[in-house]
Amino acid sequence: MNILRSLAMRLGSMFRKRKLDADLDAELRAHLDALAEANIRRGMSPEEARFAARRAFGGFEQTKSLYRDQRGLPFLEALVQDLRFGLRMLAKSPGFSAVAILTLALGIGGNTAIFSYIDAWFIEPLPFPHPDRLVIFETQDKKHGWTSGGVTSAADFFDFQKQNTSFEQTVAWTVANFNLTSDGSPELVEGGRVSCNYFDALAAKPILGRTFTAEDDRSGAPHVVILSGGLWQGRYAGDPKVIGRSISIGGEAYTVVGVMPGTFQFPLMGVANLWTPLALTDKQRADRGNVWIPAFGRLKPGVTLEQARAETATFFAHLEKEFPQTNANLTWLVSSMTDRIRTEEGGPEVMICFAIVGLVLLIACANVANLMLARATSRTKEFAVRGALGATGRRLARQLLTESVLLFLLGGVGGLLFGLWGMRWIESQIPGHIRAYIVNYGHVDLDFTTLAFTVGITLLCGLIFGLAPAFGSSRLDVNRTLKEASSQASGSSQSARMRRIFVAAEIALAVVVLISATLLVKSFIISVRSSPGFNPANVMTAQLTLPKTKYTQDSQLRNFSEEALARIRSLPGVVSASVASYVPFGGFGQGIEFEVVGRPLQPGERQGAPFTAVSRDYFSTMQIGLVKGRFFDSTDAYGSSTSVVVSQTMAGQLWPDEDPIGKKLQLGEQRTVGTIVGVVNDVKIYHLRQRRGWHIYVPMTQFPSRNLAYAVRTAGDATTMATAIRDAIWSVDRNQPVSSAPMETLIATVDAGNRVVTRLMVFFGTLAMFLGVIGIYGVMAHLVSQKIHEIGIRMALGASPAQVMRMVIGQGLKLALIGVAVGALAALGATRSLSTMLYQVAPNDPPTFIGVAILFAGVAAAACYVPARRAARLDPLVALRYE
Amino acid sequence: MPPSKAEVLQGTLDLIVLKTLDTLGPLHGYGIAQRVQQVSEDLLRLNQGTLYPALLRLEQRGWISSKWGVSENNRKARYYALTKRGEKQLAAEAESWERMAAVIARLLAGAEGAP
Repeated sequence: MNILRSLAMRLGSMFRKRKLDADLDAELRAHLDALAEANIRRGMSPEEARFAARRAFGGFEQTKSLYRDQRGLPFLEALVQDLRFGLRMLAKSPGFSAVAILTLALGIGGNTAIFSYIDAWFIEPLPFPHPDRLVIFETQDKKHGWTSGGVTSAADFFDFQKQNTSFEQTVAWTVANFNLTSDGSPELVEGGRVSCNYFDALAAKPILGRTFTAEDDRSGAPHVVILSGGLWQGRYAGDPKVIGRSISIGGEAYTVVGVMPGTFQFPLMGVANLWTPLALTDKQRADRGNVWIPAFGRLKPGVTLEQARAETATFFAHLEKEFPQTNANLTWLVSSMTDRIRTEEGGPEVMICFAIVGLVLLIACANVANLMLARATSRTKEFAVRGALGATGRRLARQLLTESVLLFLLGGVGGLLFGLWGMRWIESQIPGHIRAYIVNYGHVDLDFTTLAFTVGITLLCGLIFGLAPAFGSSRLDVNRTLKEASSQASGSSQSARMRRIFVAAEIALAVVVLISATLLVKSFIISVRSSPGFNPANVMTAQLTLPKTKYTQDSQLRNFSEEALARIRSLPGVVSASVASYVPFGGFGQGIEFEVVGRPLQPGERQGAPFTAVSRDYFSTMQIGLVKGRFFDSTDAYGSSTSVVVSQTMAGQLWPDEDPIGKKLQLGEQRTVGTIVGVVNDVKIYHLRQRRGWHIYVPMTQFPSRNLAYAVRTAGDATTMATAIRDAIWSVDRNQPVSSAPMETLIATVDAGNRVVTRLMVFFGTLAMFLGVIGIYGVMAHLVSQKIHEIGIRMALGASPAQVMRMVIGQGLKLALIGVAVGALAALGATRSLSTMLYQVAPNDPPTFIGVAILFAGVAAAACYVPARRAARLDPLVALRYE
Repeated sequence: MPPSKAEVLQGTLDLIVLKTLDTLGPLHGYGIAQRVQQVSEDLLRLNQGTLYPALLRLEQRGWISSKWGVSENNRKARYYALTKRGEKQLAAEAESWERMAAVIARLLAGAEGAP
């Protein structure tokens, strides 16, 4: 109470200083006058009386100063004073301030932007209640150490669901494409087929209607569908009466039973516009051989992950004995869903970027500390005078520290703005399709955690890097400095050494950043330039899925695909056209299991490869090269013997010393026997950094497909053909949604993550180098201005301008080379952690290391050249008089 | 420094000022200083200036209040007066002072008896 009251009075008094000072002065003078008058009454002369009064009173100004300290808040007042003085100092050297604040803003802003993603990825919990109880299941081969990548077999799942005691809920789900054919133009949307308890397990509540029931999730039950908030708002215009409405999906009627909120998202599923029940048939439920269905579970409260793992292990040991044919060596890997989502999409990239921006911030800080040290040395005289006037070392240090923290805070404000912009920029660079796999759709905000982080690093850096110059000045020897005041070589040798260390460290860090950035950028360029195995330029793709209800016969599928292909081929501007069951980068492909005729597999052993049914001119349209044999031709017609084309790597690995042409494969469950007629070069189908892989192609005439992907090579810009191609398809069947995109766009979408990382690397790499150059320039320029006297003497004694220049550049280069050497060594260790993100570039790629080293030495020499030339052009007479 | 002229401890100064205002009623700084000197018969050495920060401190704590008035010799002067809270504080401080003085006195008496 007392403390508060007194604090309030003290605070209040700070704003009425002038009036209060006047009052105090009047009061004290009255006291003095009264004392003097009393003395006069005692018989002193007026002069004596005043003198005695002063003596009795004590120090007048001292009293005032004590009084003021008691009146206000001395700490706060000093702070305000320091801040005002600091701002004045910043305004006095606008160049220095601008460079320092700008570099800090870029450094802090970069960290803010990247940290907001770190926060979203690694710190914020998944947006489901009790996310720690969510785990995913995947089949694992204990013997071969192989993991299925998040899927299991249906029978294993349903058996476990029935018998387990650890889980509150176990859920199976899968992604699917749906043809929306009623209410407006046909549209192909992505969605999910899910167990009835899917939404309950994620604790998601619908905004309208209900979620699925066990009744819905039976094969043959009436069709029901739940819409996503986005689809409901868009296609159904937010119709509040949508519940109970019948919509047509793939030609079948589905009743809308619920609408989920727009914020609901299951990152492992990706884009989901609607959900239908999984509703597997009894045969599908009993299938133990195919490992295809993703599954997850919610642990009962109090059950640990270890207990659940123990239970699954026992359960699968049992299955292994019961079903050795399908389950030999198999078990489930039970792992935290949170960890899976964090490592799935972009996690490692975010961490690398965070490390890089962290280094850039360190460089920026070292740079600013350096500039401040330089300024502190040129302000030595100012500090000496202030010291002589009674300022303590601590007081001076505090002032310097305040100045540097002020500088960092200004940089921090700029950094927040830059960071906000950066967050939006990164978000805009992630394609919408990929965002669905990122928590919160990749949207990040300047939330409390991020803000606290920004403020935290700003203050921390300000204090740490502000301490260096402050420490130097607090140990100032007033006497010596004032005596030496005329000599310019006043920077203490200690502070000069500190600055050289800073610059060398700065360059070393910049070298690490630049080498890392170069490696990543080089990887990206190599991967983008690398051929995907076909020529994507001027290829337009159009994909659709024919519904089972309308197209029941293989002949219908065949007719549709050929009819549409013929109409596309006749379009003006089309060079060649083809159709396949899947085009590279076109989404989830298809795989097939096979056995080489004459090489039976061991029980439990499986062999598979990506599988595409293609029309005759697919290879020529895509410009996939023939290695051996022939492409498909008119002889591979419906009804004739099955032909197969395989990829080069597959042929080479299966028949290293034999001619693959003429070899036979048994394909799929039907064990259709096909003869290899050709070998084509490898094609990347999922991403550009894919390793060479196996691929099986069959003629579409013999393997009709419901999934149709038209690949059309056009004469000019492919994008202009999108509508014409779609209309050609619609002229065969108006009700089939078509999604079209140029091939190059499909590839760019897949590569978006690397593209963002690369752009960030270019930016921060350049920034790091720029900061390093500023650092060395600053030090050398300062060095020259301090050594003018010395240089003058040297020149007077006969040193030539060239010698002087060599001396200055030599000193600068020595620093730079130490930095480069240390940086390159550090980079050797640091870049190893990049190896998973590199493509066809070794972490110790010699050209990168050497190139960056030479580049740095070069720019450092250039940065020293300016002050060196200034030194060389000095007139010795002027230099010697210069004080 | 003559041993008889003790430096005034801060806490003691507070008590002296409060007691002075209690006895004499509202008074200006000069008046308080004079009174302190009279009462202590010059045994206490008080730099009269140091009185003012002390007065401000007491005012901030709400024990005394101040207002500008006119002194006996028609000069503008700032008058300090004891507040209600100041009276309570004075009673409390006086009591604790007396207790302390008693303890010290007993201690000294005992010490004299010891060898």
